[in-house]
Amino acid sequence: MSKAIFELVDELPTGGLTVMSLNALDFVIPGQWQNIVGFDNTIKIVTGTDDPDYIQAIGERAVALYNDKGEGYQTAMWLYNTVDSGSRLLGAAAMANKVGESFSMLSFLGNITPKAETAQTIDLSVKLVAEIVAFCQINGIPGDSVGDFLAALGDYGGESLMRMAALICFDGLIPLGPDFIGMVMDKMGGMGANELEGNQTFKGIKDQIPGGDTGGKLGFITESFGSVSGWMSDFVTSRGLTPETVVGNLRNFVEISDDKLDYLGAFLDVSTNYYEHTGAQTLARRLIERAAAEM
Amino acid sequence: MIVSNWRKALMPIVLSVALLFSACSSKEPSKYATTQKETSGRSAPAAVAKNAEAGGDFNKFFPQGDAGFARVFSQEKKGFAEAKLNKGGKNVAVLSISDTISLPAAAKKYEKSTSKIGSYPLLDEAPLKSTGVLVNNRYQVKVASRDPSFTATDRQAWLSKFNLDGLSKLK
Repeated sequence: MSKAIFELVDELPTGGLTVMSLNALDFVIPGQWQNIVGFDNTIKIVTGTDDPDYIQAIGERAVALYNDKGEGYQTAMWLYNTVDSGSRLLGAAAMANKVGESFSMLSFLGNITPKAETAQTIDLSVKLVAEIVAFCQINGIPGDSVGDFLAALGDYGGESLMRMAALICFDGLIPLGPDFIGMVMDKMGGMGANELEGNQTFKGIKDQIPGGDTGGKLGFITESFGSVSGWMSDFVTSRGLTPETVVGNLRNFVEISDDKLDYLGAFLDVSTNYYEHTGAQTLARRLIERAAAEM
Repeated sequence: MIVSNWRKALMPIVLSVALLFSACSSKEPSKYATTQKETSGRSAPAAVAKNAEAGGDFNKFFPQGDAGFARVFSQEKKGFAEAKLNKGGKNVAVLSISDTISLPAAAKKYEKSTSKIGSYPLLDEAPLKSTGVLVNNRYQVKVASRDPSFTATDRQAWLSKFNLDGLSKLK
């Protein structure tokens, strides 16, 4: 059985590589993300109440809503979990006891390999599609409505905006370089269904991607990326984001030598689970908002 | 013999220590454990009633944005619709309509109401910084503050901007 929502939120870490790497992106969206952990604490922050009876009642309603499979919240959580690379377990376990220290990538170089560009391209686009599908599962807008998603993107804030910032920086700029948007669009446009079929991230969530067969799903992924590319491009330009500025901020807690920069994307991939972490935070917030409004 | 007695004497100590450790290490059950048990599993009741109104049917009764306030729809689920009210890019309040058919206690609390908007009972919940009305004894319309600048008076003013009479005719 899947975990209860209160357990997922109570168990969110306050430190470790995921939290540190997200904090390193504070310069991208200054002050907009706080690492809110704990179910009751989230209820207090979202609703502004500290009345224990209200907190309990809101919590109970949120738990019930999450457990109703027809409501789509569990599917959204599953999507956030699944697109976060399975390979991260290696990094997470090995580094768990190093919280608070500066991490040296060198000791892990034997275990990580930079991904081929095609694999990274698919990963980035599939993660973006997972965001669209999860958004629709949580907020209830039909699953293939990219237009609604775009309207809501403008209103993204807090943990949702941080997730997008991390997607752009950790899965776009760092592994693929400053022209990643054009590169991904070119590669996806010329990709065959077979290439997509072989990708692990795609395989993980393909049943949730609209479009029918693999060719149709490829079309949906390519179209979705194209629709969001303008927003991403603005995000990068307006904040002056480059691989160098992102790496510069990551250097505050990871030792990275210039000749090993190729490995940084893979290192972040195996050692962080920012989709799952911020996804649980987004989900908790939306559930709590709804529960408080309904009770 | 001595060895055997020594073992006999030690056993209760070992057992008590083991019990003490297991008691200390076992987590206290969560205060949501009962709800979790009741609402998960195959025979668990649905959280949203089958005949709840579609959330999209509520959208047209929401007020438009106003001078300085942008209204952004944020959730549309069965029996529930929600919009954010943003001012200067900051979320200051949340507007919502929900169908209490899924949660009858939500409608029942309006029995305590002592004031009205039009003919609809009004209730302010100070701990939640939230004010609501109940339409047709079924649809709950709420405005909740998300910023100290948005007061109880603002909440009532925005509640009046909903098309409550239109909502009351929803079949």
